[in-house]
Amino acid sequence: MASRKKVLLKVIILGDSGVGKTSLMNQYVNKKFSNQYKATIGADFLTKEVMVDDRLVTMQIWDTAGQERFQSLGVAFYRGADCCVLVFDVTVPNTFKQLDRNKIDLENRAVTAKRAQGWCQSKGDIPYFETSAKEAINVEQAFQTVAKNALAQETEVELYNEFPDQIKITNDSGKPKEGCGC
Amino acid sequence: MATQSQVLFEKDSVFIHVNVNSHHSDKDAHIPGKVFIIQKPEGTFIEWKAEEILQVDGQNEQEWAVIGSSLSVGYKPDTGSGSDVPTKEEARRKYNISFDILDLKSFKRNAPNHGWAYVIFILKDGTTYPALHFHSGGSKAMLQFLGKTLHIQRSPKDNRLFIVQEHDPDMLSKSFDELNLFADSQGDLVTKFIKDPYTTSLAGFSKVTNFLKDVLLQPDAQIPRQREEVADILSEDIPGMEISNQDEPGYELITKTKLPSRPSVSRGTPLTGEQWSKHMDSDGKIKDIDKLKDVIFRGGVDPALRIDVWKFLLGYYNWQSTYKTRTDERKRRVDDYFRMKLQWKTITAEQEKRFAMLRERKCLIEKDVTRTDRTHKFFGGECNPNLQVLNDILMTYCMYNFDLGYVQGMSDLLSPVLVVMENEVDAFWCFAGLMERVCNNFEMDQGGMKHQLAQIHKLMQHTDPELCSYLESHDSGNFYFCFRWILILFKREFSFPDVQRLWEVLWTDRPCQNFHLIICLAILDTEKSTLIENKFGFTEILKHINDMTGAIHLEETLKKAESIFLQLKESKKLPNHLKEILGFEVSPDNSASSSNKTTPSSTPVFPEVVQSASPVKTTPASTPVFPPIVPKLELSARLSSIQTNGHSNPSSGSGTAVSTPNNDSSIEILSDTCDTAVNNFYN
Repeated sequence: MASRKKVLLKVIILGDSGVGKTSLMNQYVNKKFSNQYKATIGADFLTKEVMVDDRLVTMQIWDTAGQERFQSLGVAFYRGADCCVLVFDVTVPNTFKQLDRNKIDLENRAVTAKRAQGWCQSKGDIPYFETSAKEAINVEQAFQTVAKNALAQETEVELYNEFPDQIKITNDSGKPKEGCGC
Repeated sequence: MATQSQVLFEKDSVFIHVNVNSHHSDKDAHIPGKVFIIQKPEGTFIEWKAEEILQVDGQNEQEWAVIGSSLSVGYKPDTGSGSDVPTKEEARRKYNISFDILDLKSFKRNAPNHGWAYVIFILKDGTTYPALHFHSGGSKAMLQFLGKTLHIQRSPKDNRLFIVQEHDPDMLSKSFDELNLFADSQGDLVTKFIKDPYTTSLAGFSKVTNFLKDVLLQPDAQIPRQREEVADILSEDIPGMEISNQDEPGYELITKTKLPSRPSVSRGTPLTGEQWSKHMDSDGKIKDIDKLKDVIFRGGVDPALRIDVWKFLLGYYNWQSTYKTRTDERKRRVDDYFRMKLQWKTITAEQEKRFAMLRERKCLIEKDVTRTDRTHKFFGGECNPNLQVLNDILMTYCMYNFDLGYVQGMSDLLSPVLVVMENEVDAFWCFAGLMERVCNNFEMDQGGMKHQLAQIHKLMQHTDPELCSYLESHDSGNFYFCFRWILILFKREFSFPDVQRLWEVLWTDRPCQNFHLIICLAILDTEKSTLIENKFGFTEILKHINDMTGAIHLEETLKKAESIFLQLKESKKLPNHLKEILGFEVSPDNSASSSNKTTPSSTPVFPEVVQSASPVKTTPASTPVFPPIVPKLELSARLSSIQTNGHSNPSSGSGTAVSTPNNDSSIEILSDTCDTAVNNFYN
């Protein structure tokens, strides 16, 4: 049997309004896509148990409201996060300025992979994934990397626990994409 | 071992009621399904699956209840199932439930004397599933089956609540009594008391009244408390507790601040068309505004009347207005609306390029409009023209109140108003009136939200110190889990008809302007034992509260909230800061804050925004003064040369769904004798 000790990883998803944070979370946890998600108000989370290198890990994935105005309250929900996933919409350049990326299934792409990757490298080699929450492309891989990197860092946490890991995810509008950075 | 799943238990005729407040006649409100306990290779699971629908009937138009009045609406009915519209089957399937029983934290079983038993399962992370209603029995059998696998203990405080005990190899063998799920006894408090040495010894040292026992004798009392924890409890200033030395020398007498008991209250029936017309005199003036508001507070408004009554409640029409002044007022409102709409409509692409703020708002509104109440028939389907109306009203609101702009949550507030008004201009002004009431919620620094969450905290310190200290000690004293409730006035927690009922009750400002805060207390009071006995922490509390969507009984909650209000009103030693929240007259003798006598705390912090549609905002609820509403229309008069003809909608390409103002559905006014049969509780 694998190690009996359960690990809880708190992962927060950040990004501009409408980039697909809720969609990504639901695709990863529930394997579902709906185009009827409402704008998130306040915060919510879903949990999912995954095996990472023979360890049972409970991922607690937090989804928060995107509009900047609500970020001041968001802080309460971010406390103790092990990793953060930054999502932007590849079709809306502004959401990249604001952060992460999703929606690669859409054709009207406006942020190049190269540009986003360059950004991630410049921030200390943050893992970067292009995803589609609609088509379930790369979502599993992105969150698996989230779990893996966060778990690997767990041993160093005593030293650096002030700064959660980052993972960048991109999403396509209507179809999400992720970039993932740890 | 088993590589295949094995069904250990199954029961059909188990229903999910989509909305607890729905009527039995609503056939879509009850989804039939089957419940299973299944042994799978990866563990034992409890599952509920919606019954497959064998035939899809062609009655699409029956799928959603049509809300509001009988006036027909000009939007296109859905034709077939576009990719946007989930089929009925998909809609049902989304309620399917499946979880590992090792994740189960507790369940509630309610078995009324008449009617169906239901079971609510709550997981360790706070996830709370919709109630499963066993229409042909079987809930007891199922739970007894579970009792074979899990160690389950009935809550001593709430006999409907059963807590799954963590598997603990060191646990002493439990007496069989604890497994007796369906006995009537609520658990043997004395036995538990004796088992807990710390509590017991404390009780021996001093005279401790019920309150301390309440605090210490929580259901976890069987696990000996840590010394530090007990010390914490004692050293803390336990809210609501007074210590006096006078009665018996040598002893401290500890007593709980007694609140008067909660009086029982009853709700009434909605305002009828007949009552409404009787409330107006021959000029169309409302005769007794107070009485009318009392009726609306007690029972709401008949849905068909909302289109008229809401215009008063939301300050579109002055309460003192007559037929004649309303006609004039409406004309001005129409002109003013289209003047403002034209302002953003006429911005060219070139201009927009250099107008980042407008661009951003436009983008944000677009994103939210496409995801606002799309499951409601009024906004459902692809290319629904009502979405354009929603968009245009929100854009125009940005011009009306550029300082505030568009903030997420506003589209939620607008949607029920638009569904009732069925008219762009009327919906706009009613929405603007609604925003006057709640604009503090959307401030940049979230000050208004923080203030209200703090007010809930203060109120609960007084009404329920036990729950309050529980929440404080579980990182939830900030009440952030109430954020969504407050921001959009419970819009996401109730069905459309219920939220409309709730809002019209709140808009009467009865029994006080902060009644929505007391509604929060009432809901939390109902959930108290679930939160405490499951030992929920910050995350689980949030999850449980978020999952209560559609599961809150509106009328029961309103009754309880009013009852709490009356309890506070009768309370003798109510601190001044609570009196201010509740709009009571503040006693002049103490407290620096008492200077603010006539200004309830909900007075808008946005004085510059108070322009037109302010319903009785600055007077306490108990003093019915109704300042005339005089919109500042000087600007519109000066700009009248550019205003569009109010009878054409400059936005519209083809098929704007909501009627433009030429369809003036003026109010029929029948004058008659005054309605006297009003439950005039507050006068």
